[in-house]
Amino acid sequence: MSDSIRFPTREPVDFVIIGSGAAGGVLAKELATSGFDVVVLEQGPYRRPSEFSHDELDVIFNNAYSGGTSGDYPQTYRQKESERAEVTDFPAAYYARMVGGSSVHYSANFWRLRPLDFNERSRLGGIAGTGFADWPLSYEELEPYYTKVDWEIGVSGAPGPFDPPRSKPYPVPPMPLKSSGALLEMGARKLGLHAQPAPVAILSQPHNGRPACIHCGFCMGFGCEANAKSSTLATMIPLAEATGHCEIRPLSTVYKLETDANGRVSDVLYFDERGLSQGQKAKAVILAANGAETPRLLLESESSRFPDGLANSSGKVGKYLMFNSHSSSNAMFEHDLNEYKSIQCTRIVQDFYESDAKRGFYGGGVIDARPFLSATPIFYALNGLPPDTPTWGSEFKRALAEGFTRRLSILGSGTSLARESNSISLDPELKDRHGRAALRVTYEDHPDDLALARFLQDRSVELMEAVGAKKIWRDPVEVQSITAHLLGTCRMGDDPHESVVDRDHRSHDVPNLFICDGSSLVTSGRGQPTMTIQALAFRAADRIRDFSKNNQI
Amino acid sequence: MQKTKTTRRGFLRASAGLIGGGWLAANWPGIAAAAEAAASARDAGAEFSHLDPLDAADLEAMAALIIPDDDSPGAREAGVIYFMDTALGSIFAAQAAGLATGLADLNAKVVALDAGAKRFAGLDSARQIELLRREESSPIFGGVRFMTLCGFLAMPSYGGNRNHVGWDLIGFDHRHAWQPPFGYYDAKAAGNGDTDV
Repeated sequence: MSDSIRFPTREPVDFVIIGSGAAGGVLAKELATSGFDVVVLEQGPYRRPSEFSHDELDVIFNNAYSGGTSGDYPQTYRQKESERAEVTDFPAAYYARMVGGSSVHYSANFWRLRPLDFNERSRLGGIAGTGFADWPLSYEELEPYYTKVDWEIGVSGAPGPFDPPRSKPYPVPPMPLKSSGALLEMGARKLGLHAQPAPVAILSQPHNGRPACIHCGFCMGFGCEANAKSSTLATMIPLAEATGHCEIRPLSTVYKLETDANGRVSDVLYFDERGLSQGQKAKAVILAANGAETPRLLLESESSRFPDGLANSSGKVGKYLMFNSHSSSNAMFEHDLNEYKSIQCTRIVQDFYESDAKRGFYGGGVIDARPFLSATPIFYALNGLPPDTPTWGSEFKRALAEGFTRRLSILGSGTSLARESNSISLDPELKDRHGRAALRVTYEDHPDDLALARFLQDRSVELMEAVGAKKIWRDPVEVQSITAHLLGTCRMGDDPHESVVDRDHRSHDVPNLFICDGSSLVTSGRGQPTMTIQALAFRAADRIRDFSKNNQI
Repeated sequence: MQKTKTTRRGFLRASAGLIGGGWLAANWPGIAAAAEAAASARDAGAEFSHLDPLDAADLEAMAALIIPDDDSPGAREAGVIYFMDTALGSIFAAQAAGLATGLADLNAKVVALDAGAKRFAGLDSARQIELLRREESSPIFGGVRFMTLCGFLAMPSYGGNRNHVGWDLIGFDHRHAWQPPFGYYDAKAAGNGDTDV
């Protein structure tokens, strides 16, 4: 970091990229390797893989990577717009604050969307009271970029029976089977369903100079000290820095985009690590701060020229927030599964992917089996036992002793319908330590999303019954108030009245402002958005590179 | 706000009691220093740095009921109280005042139960159990339970989980690398080419 290039703040660089995560890391690498000068502003610290540890108390319970639980980064949450949002015990929008962003601490499930995800609105018709819409892109247009993600980011996998067409095989084979995957596979076979290897952005074999996974088990929520998890910290950022054209500037919290007399973004204002206000001038800005921070920053960047926030003539900035629908159930088995070893998820069942009118609701999803919250000891002790277990005493101790190695969770992940009332906005009362308005999350799952979650939970339970689980218990299907999936809040579209960015991620209102991250998604997909966010980022980089070379920015 | 407490991630608040979330607060950068302090205190085998000895006795008595030392080591042998001592001076410092209040309230109930006992640690075992059963949904119980589980299962460098007794109980083997097979069912699938149980 210390020997990397430093750009002066008062001279405009070609691009300022806000955020160094799944999308920002890809854009930085693509543009820097094309010879553009790039400054990446990242609000979190620059941690090195050698700093990552298995310290559950620090990482999971102290939220070392997400910046502490609340203190410095307050958020509020409410279900409905008519309610006053409250500070909750745990932030509603959960993401990592560090170079590499949430790609450092995620579980790395990497499913592509299918062709139907892009045009489902046309195929199925509209849904009243929602913003259900087609993408301005097709799967075919994005496919080369999915393949780029497979090879450049590094994805392990093998073809499955429902896969969309792919132009190139996976670069490395799937990760080895875990007991959760073996049980899911056996259950699927008994029920006439199909389990396939889970594609993950974790290396099963060495690739691009990085080593294979050592199966330490500290994946979800943790950073990978082996560099086998394909975060942008491990993959893209080093390539970007090696060009000599990219400066990663950590501990830089952007609070405003300034525009000039022509309505173009000219200056990116941020607080540096000492809390002092700085400004980085830029010829163009790419906002990739995630589906919560991106709309927040646009709304904060209001001015007399842009009174409703920057790039918000549509009024859609922050709207159409989607979490993905989720259900979880749990099962205990006779023998040891040892789910604390290796990655979260090795098999998935995609038989319920497509929406089916016969079910009586819109939506589809995917089932997988994994340790989930019980991959690590303390989290397990707090969350992993059946609800009828005594909470203390000898019986509790006996249950504690038996459950850790013998349990799994089975998850249903699926569609969320875009609702205009689900949003990221600025809290009118609460401020953070810099005096910025706190991020306010408004979210209530659509009734169809909850119906889908219940449906997938029923199928999940059947799968576990089919393989003789000793005990099965369901977590309640309720409105979600916490998410790590932040989607749809600056949606892409051809109509400037209905969307924030065009098909090339350029904002409809500001010609030198591009937006690319989870906020770009028009529909939610079936539950694992990062693969698509990164494919969009590779594609956006191609477009932006061309615009710049043709003097069209 | 309507009741929306349980979520996909079901995080801590679902299980750690009313003050569970609060235990996650503040002072997180100090954690490495906390771990060092805990390790040296344990090596010295001794004095508490932050806990009043009488409070410590109550907390240890409660921890020992939550995870008893029976045919295998429990909270006492794991040194959970040393974890608490360190944590309340560092990562859980923000909860120290609430904990003291909670303990005082609890001890007021002790006196009502047995005027001679004065404090929770002074009750006989049957009465300790009786009182704790009544207090199961109280913040003090939730907080002590949360700290007990953390102290039993966190890295030993924090002062508890001595000799990995917590990890041994649940069957967690902390290594930095594993190779398949990982468990019974994947081993069986690999062996048989068939996953029928």
